Amino acid sequence: MSTTPIMTVTDLHKTYGKAGSKQYEALKGINFDVNAGEFVGIMGASGSGKTTLLNMLATLDQPTSGEVTINQQPITHLKGNQLADFRAKEIGFIFQDFNLLETMTAYENIALPLTLQNTAAKKIKPAVEVVAAHLGIAEFLNNYPNELSGGQKQRVAAARALINEPAMLFGDEPTGALDSKSARELLDLFTTINREQAVSILLVTHDPFSASYCQRILFIKDGKIGQELNRADLSRKAFYQQILDTLGTFEQ
Amino acid sequence: MLTKLAMTGFQKRWRDYLVLFSGLIMSSAIFYMFEALATNKTFLKQNTGISMVGMIFQFGSVLLTIITLVYIGYANSFLLSMRKRDYGLFMLVGARKGKIGQLIWLETLLVGITATIVGIIVGTLLTIGLSQLLISSLGLTLHHLSAWYFPAALTTLLLYVGLFLLAGFFNLIALTKTPALKLLHSNDQPNRPKLKPVRQLVEVILGLISIAIGYWAMANLDKLQMAGIGIALVTIVLGTYLLFNAIFVWLVVLLKRLPFANRGLNGFTLSQLSFRIRNYTKILSIVAMLFALALGAITVGMGFHRQVPLMVNGGNAYDMGLVNTTGSQKAQIKALNPTTESTYRFKVGKKAVYYRASDFDQHPFITMEQAGHNQLKFTVKHNTAKQLLKSNASYQLNSLQGSAQQRLRTQMLSDAQYAKLTQPEQRLTVFATADVTAHTAALKKLATSQRHRDTGLQGEMLGGRYTGYQLINSMYSGLEFMGFFLGVAFLAMLASCLMFKILSGAAADQHRYVMLNKIGTRKAQLNGALRKEIAVLFILPGIVGVVHVLFGLKMFSFIMVGSPYTGIWLPFLIFAGLYLIYYLITVQIYRRIVLQ
Ligand SMILES: Nc1ncnc2c1ncn2[C@@H]1O[C@H](COP(=O)(O)OP(=O)(O)O)[C@@H](O)[C@H]1O
Ligand SMILES: [Mg+2]
Repeated sequence: MSTTPIMTVTDLHKTYGKAGSKQYEALKGINFDVNAGEFVGIMGASGSGKTTLLNMLATLDQPTSGEVTINQQPITHLKGNQLADFRAKEIGFIFQDFNLLETMTAYENIALPLTLQNTAAKKIKPAVEVVAAHLGIAEFLNNYPNELSGGQKQRVAAARALINEPAMLFGDEPTGALDSKSARELLDLFTTINREQAVSILLVTHDPFSASYCQRILFIKDGKIGQELNRADLSRKAFYQQILDTLGTFEQ
Repeated sequence: MLTKLAMTGFQKRWRDYLVLFSGLIMSSAIFYMFEALATNKTFLKQNTGISMVGMIFQFGSVLLTIITLVYIGYANSFLLSMRKRDYGLFMLVGARKGKIGQLIWLETLLVGITATIVGIIVGTLLTIGLSQLLISSLGLTLHHLSAWYFPAALTTLLLYVGLFLLAGFFNLIALTKTPALKLLHSNDQPNRPKLKPVRQLVEVILGLISIAIGYWAMANLDKLQMAGIGIALVTIVLGTYLLFNAIFVWLVVLLKRLPFANRGLNGFTLSQLSFRIRNYTKILSIVAMLFALALGAITVGMGFHRQVPLMVNGGNAYDMGLVNTTGSQKAQIKALNPTTESTYRFKVGKKAVYYRASDFDQHPFITMEQAGHNQLKFTVKHNTAKQLLKSNASYQLNSLQGSAQQRLRTQMLSDAQYAKLTQPEQRLTVFATADVTAHTAALKKLATSQRHRDTGLQGEMLGGRYTGYQLINSMYSGLEFMGFFLGVAFLAMLASCLMFKILSGAAADQHRYVMLNKIGTRKAQLNGALRKEIAVLFILPGIVGVVHVLFGLKMFSFIMVGSPYTGIWLPFLIFAGLYLIYYLITVQIYRRIVLQ
């Protein structure tokens, strides 16, 4: 495994609320790196600051202080077109509630990041078909989101996130709205993508089962990273057990 | 407790309520303005002299009521979409349905009645402002126009309260019959745009036939009379709807297949449009109708306005005739830079006015004579004494020659015969300026001074273009005023309809734009998508509306002398400007809602 970090996070703070009004410090100094090609999980109880952290990392919100770099590029002060282009080219997201455009077919949803870049029409179709085949949704391309199951929707969302071959893929509880079978399929898919296409993945979850698919897990509590687990050569089942044990002591 | 919850919901959404309120106020204000003219029989009678106008207003009234119905339907669904989540929440926390039903009913009625009352006040003020503006800028004279007209206020209030009672009832059923969870997640489902070639072909054909019948009815209004207007209204509305329904779906599906759809957010915009196709076809047909009515009214109003000088110029070749001008009057005439000026000497006998023929032979008297059947085509004739006596336009001289003499015969005498007459010699000075409408103030001064000197001279007896202008202008002012007034009113109604429809979808679009922003869409692209989507919704009914107007103007060829089509580019241009302003405002508000 390569050891160059694809993402570095340095002393990240986030305080909600304006000075003077009621303030809440959701992140209290977060530091960690993600190496290229790594599959990292962030775990924590509800309200521990997972979504807040992910939003800072994925440029959806700005931290109060601290710095994040992705691909050696500082991202916390990006604005306007630079920010939009960075999102479009360097990162992909998958959200719990799918975030698909229900007015467009699966195909159009997946193709959207390419059409936004005005990619030649000739290149769009094959690119969508390759990703769709990879994620097992080739036969649903002409369906609208409301004609798809939750698992299928999430795979369409994944396809849209991956079509630009991003450096990092972010997922905020992507299995949260799925039944266990669909969740398992999606996680298997992440593992394959991570391995075969060397996409770095950062997965936020409160679910130990989902977390057991990761190579490394950071536990967050009260806005700080409290503990770190490495899967190393453990089987997924054994890692799952280890996570449960850790949670038992960590959540005390 | 629940009332408090309802109030907090109100406070949080004051901006949405502002949109709702201003839309409703606009609508009721316009309805009131229309009714204030339409139900004021004395005004209509005094200012038009055309009995048909009253009937046209009745039809307009019915039409506006239908439009108001649809409009309130949209406003209500806007209100409903705003409150759905709140009410769903109330139900989840265990509020009883009866209690919620009361709240909904109360809120709908409260919003409706407040808006209507404010609307009537605004309507009264607008009527004052608009009529002042029109009267001063067009130089109109109007009688019996009262901005505050009680029957109109009553009609407006009754209609709106009735409609809001209905709306409240509808809301009650819609909200309380729906399970709480569905209210919380009431995202509209996409309509899969389907191509059904046979059905759409039938729709296109039926639509075209309907519109053709409507156009035919308008063109033959002289034979069909009032029935023609009824037929035209029904068939054109129906035909427009069918055409939109068939062509819009087909167009979007077709455009989506072009490479154009693969660039930037074009695909997204097309999807947005197709997503709402069914909702939009109705509103677009209505907007097309309103567009046609508004543009038509303004064009007709302008047509009348343009016609006044044409008719005036045809009535006489001279602006005025003055008998025995004083030195000061002469100076005033000179200051007007007259294009022609002649003086004829005459003596008044018991039975005739005697002129010196040689004056006419030296300075031929100009008459205007109608050319062919067209009442507005005139030929200019220069008449010597002999020619004038033979001409059947010789009355044009009589009308200029001041007070008592108008009923006397005209006689042309040789210099010798003339010299034998013992009556005192008088002088008639006739003159014309390049444009009588441009010199009304100065001419008025001359007329007044002449009336002081010649007490037998009354109103119309001064003759010439100036008098003609005053007569014809007062006759046409009412028609002009109505044209402009209705045009502006319909335009405002149209714009609020369209704005409402678009803005009521904005809340649902908000999350789509947030999503696009998250996946890395540039601001410029988002703005572009938004502008394009709204532009399509403005342009489509605009095109259809223009076509309707071009055919509809034929209707007026029997009220108007001459062609109603001459110079229509000007009202079209003015209208396009106003329409553009509405478009820009809609884009601005929409952007504020979805892009924040
Ligand atoms: N926009 C916000 N304004 C104020 N407080 C917030 C906001 N977003 C989150 N918080 C607070 O920050 C804390 C962390 O929230 P979040 O990151 O959503 O937690 P998690 O995703 O781990 O459940 C919570 O206490 C939450 O109330
Ligand atoms: Mg969260």
